[in-house]
Amino acid sequence: MARQETLGKKPLQILEKIRENLEKLNEKMEVMIELQKHGKKDFQPLSSEAPLDVMTLLSMPDHLRKTAMAACRLGRATADETAEQTHRARAVESAYLNQLVIMGHLKKERKGRKAYFYVDRESQG
Amino acid sequence: MNVVGKIIAVHSYKGGTGKTLLSVNLAAAFAKRGKKVCLFDLDFRAPSLATLLKVEKADHWLNDYLNGTCEIDKVLMDLTDRIHNGGKLLVGLANPSTEAIRDMSAKDRKWEMRALGRLLALRNSLLDGKGIDYLIFDTSPGLQYSSINAIVSSDLVIVATTLDRSDVDGTKRMLKELYELFEKKTEIILNKVLEAPIRSGKDFQAKVKDIYQVPLLGIVPCFCDILKAEGNTIFAEEKPDHPFTRILDEMANTIEKST
Repeated sequence: MARQETLGKKPLQILEKIRENLEKLNEKMEVMIELQKHGKKDFQPLSSEAPLDVMTLLSMPDHLRKTAMAACRLGRATADETAEQTHRARAVESAYLNQLVIMGHLKKERKGRKAYFYVDRESQG
Repeated sequence: MNVVGKIIAVHSYKGGTGKTLLSVNLAAAFAKRGKKVCLFDLDFRAPSLATLLKVEKADHWLNDYLNGTCEIDKVLMDLTDRIHNGGKLLVGLANPSTEAIRDMSAKDRKWEMRALGRLLALRNSLLDGKGIDYLIFDTSPGLQYSSINAIVSSDLVIVATTLDRSDVDGTKRMLKELYELFEKKTEIILNKVLEAPIRSGKDFQAKVKDIYQVPLLGIVPCFCDILKAEGNTIFAEEKPDHPFTRILDEMANTIEKST
């Protein structure tokens, strides 16, 4: 009986892992698509900690500034919640948020199926 | 209906355009209309509200709140007794000591990022939490960290400007390269206008709107009475029937209607 349950769970776990990997792949593709649209000049990976202060916001390209400002206002948010604020598509916001993570301006944390993006104001330095 | 309050940043390109005078008297005008108003001195380089409001000592300053060493409740001072027959007037003061000014001008980017977070948090703690109708930020002129933090945190930016040529040019640049980039609703107050009767006409107003391409909240003539008051009173309180007070009341009315 116990063996049967274990066998039943395994395919589910595998499917869950595949879905997770597909989501990650999708996010990477979204970032790549946006990079192609706006050109690589807007996208320079910085250090792991690049403070999202107002002067940094001012120097950003318009499309990223909109997302970054929404992230500042929300504090901690998913791509869906950010899209609600900016009135742009979720996929677009997901790409920009991930771009801001790579640039070191935002931090990302996964909780179950959801990915949360936030400005790390608490770390020392 | 749950009406949420509004955050207003009063800013300018140059110093001496009348930001503090306009901030204080606009706060008084809102309070006289029965509103709950909070007025913050965010000009950490040249604090002036403490002197203007004759507050000699404070246990906690806005500097402390932004440093994260106290909560906003500790900073708020209730000056409702300075307003007759009105709502409520709370103030938050910047520390005017030389040491505090020096300390605030030496903050790094990380600190400024945290300060922005604390200013943004005021929407929850003051507007939603305490039912404040208007939170007014009196800021430093030009492109200072503290001013831009205030602008980013606000719903409306009021730009105090004069007819001084360099002020006109600088204000036009800021409209394009600062407020517009942050997608902020911006309105202009043209202050210290000479020959005001001629210049308050419709043609002149249209010309001003054409120069700045944003709504004109009002034109304030250059009043000798204001200079004579030497910046140590709430003018609108002292002189409720003065033309300056009436102009500020009209501005408060316009802002209230657009909320």
